[in-house]
Amino acid sequence: MIKVVDLHFKYGNIDLEVLRGLSFSVEKGEFVALIGQNGAGKTTLLKQFNALLQPTGGTVQIAGLDTARSTTGELARKVGFLFQNPDHQIFMPTVFKEIGFGPKNLHLSKAEIDARVEEAAEAVGLTAYLGHNPLLLSKGQRQRVAFASVLSMKPEILVLDEPTTGQDYQEGIEIMEMVQKLNELGHTIVFVTHDMELVATYAKRVIVLSGGRVLLDDSCRNVFYHPEILRQTNLFPPQIARLAQMFAQQPSLFGRPLTVEEIYQEILNLPESASHVCCS
Amino acid sequence: MSVVANYIPRDSFVHRLSPLTKLFWSFLLMTLSCFFRDPLVLAGLFLSIVLVALAAGILKEMFPVFKGLLCIAGLFILFQIFFISDGKTIFTLIPGTGIGRVTDAGLVGCLAMGARMIVIAASFPVLMGTTQIKDLVVVLVEKLRIPYPYAFMFVTSLRFVPTFMQEMDQIIQAQSSRAHRLDNKNFLKRFLSICPLAIPLMVTSVKKAERMAISMETRGFGVGKRTNLHSKQFRSVDALVCCALLLAGVGAAVLHFMGILA
Repeated sequence: MIKVVDLHFKYGNIDLEVLRGLSFSVEKGEFVALIGQNGAGKTTLLKQFNALLQPTGGTVQIAGLDTARSTTGELARKVGFLFQNPDHQIFMPTVFKEIGFGPKNLHLSKAEIDARVEEAAEAVGLTAYLGHNPLLLSKGQRQRVAFASVLSMKPEILVLDEPTTGQDYQEGIEIMEMVQKLNELGHTIVFVTHDMELVATYAKRVIVLSGGRVLLDDSCRNVFYHPEILRQTNLFPPQIARLAQMFAQQPSLFGRPLTVEEIYQEILNLPESASHVCCS
Repeated sequence: MSVVANYIPRDSFVHRLSPLTKLFWSFLLMTLSCFFRDPLVLAGLFLSIVLVALAAGILKEMFPVFKGLLCIAGLFILFQIFFISDGKTIFTLIPGTGIGRVTDAGLVGCLAMGARMIVIAASFPVLMGTTQIKDLVVVLVEKLRIPYPYAFMFVTSLRFVPTFMQEMDQIIQAQSSRAHRLDNKNFLKRFLSICPLAIPLMVTSVKKAERMAISMETRGFGVGKRTNLHSKQFRSVDALVCCALLLAGVGAAVLHFMGILA
């Protein structure tokens, strides 16, 4: 679905390369988290997926389309991009019109636009707000409007740049639950976040970027049980993984849990003698 | 064009001059450009700005600004030149019909207007590129006795130009991702396509201004008399430069009134 080959990128006349020879591919239906410290090139990489930025070397292919030969508008049918700040896109007088802006640009029929708007609004829990002015909603609700406006375009690939920024815990979870549902329906998800708990809970695969290069590309579990490599990029595994690693001095006490639910199950399954070691 | 109001740090003679001297230079250039009508003289004034940018070591950064101004002036000339009918016809776009007639007076007049526009606009980015905003505020308040809130408002509006341009870039990206097109061939549609960009920019700007006002108030803005930690001195070299500029300006004005420089 996404194929990146020897991707290089630098901004304008600045000599420093932001992306320095990245190569990886993402298959249809994958749920991938891009992590790395600030300035690692995460957002720059995301923007390559819908030709907002174009490679200065190498290639990026989206469903067989070379982004260097495609416009952002053309790729909008395939790639939905949720930006960090919803205020950069909201301008319509009602939530309904705001969500319908993308499908309208795709020249769909009015009936199709209406159906898509209602479907997207329902998916994000905004049906009751369709007649409201989106600018007067809370930050969390505005982010959901932005998300619905991406969903209404029915893209095969969803690219999310820190989708839970500015959301409270519950709102963040709700957004990620929606993303997970879409993933289960076959959408390919690539998201950037600094929240390692979110990565541990939802991502199946993690790509760690450092200095414009891929430092690690593996399953979520394998990545978070490489703390020495993560530390090079100022990243720390989620607390549960760190706790389990602390207990690793007790041989075979835990497997490799990532979430509260996983460690809870492991504690329940501990033999009597081991639970004594754990809790003493 | 994002460089238009940005300070470009260099250790140059121009950078070390007092902001007052540079303001005087900018004001003098604007005044002189209003006197002269000869495109060559105005081009000479523009060349002097380029030389100042070169002396300040910021010519590379100023190049896109100058290029942009030249393009705008070019468009301005193109729109005006066919509407001036005085003078001798040099050529017509469609010979024998009088459509697209360009006259000598029209050509000289348009070139002068374009060059004047460039001179008036070009000195400003050089001034901003070589002067720190805080120094400019201090000079406006201490030397020119402009009330601090007005001086602050003036420089803050300049300071936010590059910020708004970055915001606009983000907004264009966000709307392009929703298949919004800005390259429509229909003029009306192209004009209307600005709305999805202008409204978010306005909303984010108002929010930014509100946040900034709150942040300033919480740090005591407007309470009591202000003092400045640093004061930019008007040194003897500034006085010398100002005298030289004044002499050059008066000389140019005299030559103009004597009819030597048009």
